[in-house]
Amino acid sequence: MVIGLVAASAIVIIVLFIFIKGISPFINDYQGSGNASLLKFITGFTWTAGNYGILGMLINTLYLTLIATLVSSPISILTALFIVRIAPKRLSASIKSVIELLASIPSIIYGLFGMAVINFVVKNIGNLFNIQTAGGTSGLSTVIVLIIMMIPTITMISITSVEAVRQDQIHASLALGATKAQTDFKIVINGAKSGIFAAIILGVGRALGEATAVSMVCGNAITGPNLNLFDITRTLTSTMMLGLHESSGLDYDIRFSVGVVLMFIILLTSVTLNAIKRMLEKK
Amino acid sequence: MENNQEYDFIIKNLNLHYGDNHVLKDINMEIKHSRVTAFIGPSGCGKSTLLRCLNRMNDLYDICRIDGDIFYKNININEMNPVELRTKVGMVFQSPNPFPMSIFDNVAYGPRCNGIKDKATLKEIVTTSLKKASLYDEVKDRLKDNALGLSGGQQQRLCIARAIAIQPEVILMDEPTSALDPIATSKIEELIDELKQDYTIIIVTHNMQQAARISDYTAFFLLGEVIEMGETSELFANPQNEKTEDYITGRFG
Repeated sequence: MVIGLVAASAIVIIVLFIFIKGISPFINDYQGSGNASLLKFITGFTWTAGNYGILGMLINTLYLTLIATLVSSPISILTALFIVRIAPKRLSASIKSVIELLASIPSIIYGLFGMAVINFVVKNIGNLFNIQTAGGTSGLSTVIVLIIMMIPTITMISITSVEAVRQDQIHASLALGATKAQTDFKIVINGAKSGIFAAIILGVGRALGEATAVSMVCGNAITGPNLNLFDITRTLTSTMMLGLHESSGLDYDIRFSVGVVLMFIILLTSVTLNAIKRMLEKK
Repeated sequence: MENNQEYDFIIKNLNLHYGDNHVLKDINMEIKHSRVTAFIGPSGCGKSTLLRCLNRMNDLYDICRIDGDIFYKNININEMNPVELRTKVGMVFQSPNPFPMSIFDNVAYGPRCNGIKDKATLKEIVTTSLKKASLYDEVKDRLKDNALGLSGGQQQRLCIARAIAIQPEVILMDEPTSALDPIATSKIEELIDELKQDYTIIIVTHNMQQAARISDYTAFFLLGEVIEMGETSELFANPQNEKTEDYITGRFG
C-alpha cells in the first residue's frame, strides 16, 4: 500500500509539475521575449521561436497516428492469429520471440533505421512518382516507423487474448461444420476482441507518445497541418524534442505547454477508445 | 462391405492411442438409424473418446492415433471432408458452451457457416430449431439478447437447437446433463425422447438410470473395451456379462 501511495503521488507530482510549468508561458513575463498568447498557441498553425502555434502539429499527430493504427492493427491481429492458431509450434515459438525482441528495441534504434533505410526507400518511392521529398524525411516515413513500432506491442497483447479464447468454444464451432478459417475469424477474433482492442489502445498510446524515432524522420516542418504524406511534418512530441537551444526561458517552457496538450490528447484518446471498447463488449 | 441402410455407423476394429495410452481397444459396433444409443461405463473407459471419433473431433489432437475404420452410411469417414461430416453429425458437449453472442446468432451460426445468407431462411431455421429444442416459447421475445444470460438448462437446450440448425442426421451428445440440475435434466431427457423421431442420437452418460430411461440400445464400456452391447431393456434386465451385471447393480463404478 505504501508503494502504491508513493507511485500514485509520484504521478500526481509529475502531472502537477508539467502543468505548472506548462501554463507559465501564458502568465509570466519573460525578460526580452514577453509571454506567449494562449489563443495563438491553441489556434496557430506555425511554430517558430517567438511564434508558437500547435493546432497544425496537433492535427498531424492525430492524422499520422490514425493511419499507423489503421495499418498496424490488422497486421498485428492476423500475426497473433497466425502465431497462436495456424503456425506449427516451433515456428510460432520463434516468431513470438522475434516479436518480443522487437518490442524491447529502444526507439532510437528504430529512429536510426528510419533515417537510414525508410527515408531512403521513401525518397525513391517519391522519385518514382516524380515527387520531390526532403531526402525522404516525411509524414510517410513517420507513419512507417510508427507502424513498425506499434506492431510488436499490439501483437504481443493480442496473442495473450487470442490464447485465452476457450477451447470448448472452438470445438463447438468446428463441430457445427465451420471450417478452421471461419472458426478463427468468427469465434477466436470475436472472443478476443476486447483484449485486442485493449492492445490497440496501448499501441495508439505508444504512437501518440513516441518522440525520439519520430523526431528523427519527420523533418520538423514549420507550418502545419501537413496532410500530404510526402511532405515533411511535425508532431507534438517532435516539437518538444527538436530545436532546443537553452534550458530556461520562454522557448524552453513552452515545450511544457505542448506536453500538457499531449497528455490531454492521450487521456482523451484513451477515454474515447475505452468507451468504444465497452460498447463493443456489450454487443 | 454390406450395403445396409439400417445402420448409420458401422465401426470396425477401431483402436485409438493417445500417445502411449491405448484408449480404445478393438471396437466393433453398429449404430442403428433413428434410435437412441447410450454409451455407459465408468470415467476414463473411452466412451467419450469413441463419440468424438464419430465426427472426427479427435483430429484436433496431434497425439491421437486411430487405426481401424468407421463407416457413416457406408462411406469411410476418413475419406469424407471433416467439415461435411460434421454438418451431418452434430454434437452437443458436456457443459453448455453457447457463443458469447445473441441467441439468434448462436442458432444461425452453423447455417451461416454453411453459406446460408438469406435472412428469411435463417429466421425460419432459427425458429424451427428453437421449437424443436423446446426453447422457443421461453426465448421468443429476446432472440437478440446475449445467450450467456440464459440459465444452464436453457443454454444446453440452445446448444441442442444450434446443433439441430445445421440439419444433421445424427446428434452426438457427450454427457449433456452432467452439469445440470434434476429439473433441467428431465427437460433434456423429454427433449431427447421427441428428437429421436427425426434423428439418430448417440448419448454418453454416467447415469445408468438415464440410459435406461431414454435409450433403445446400450453399450457398456470398461477400460477401453465394449463389454456388452444390446437392447437397453435386455441389457439392464438380463446382462450377459458378469462385469456388466456388477456395474449396473452398482458393485463398482
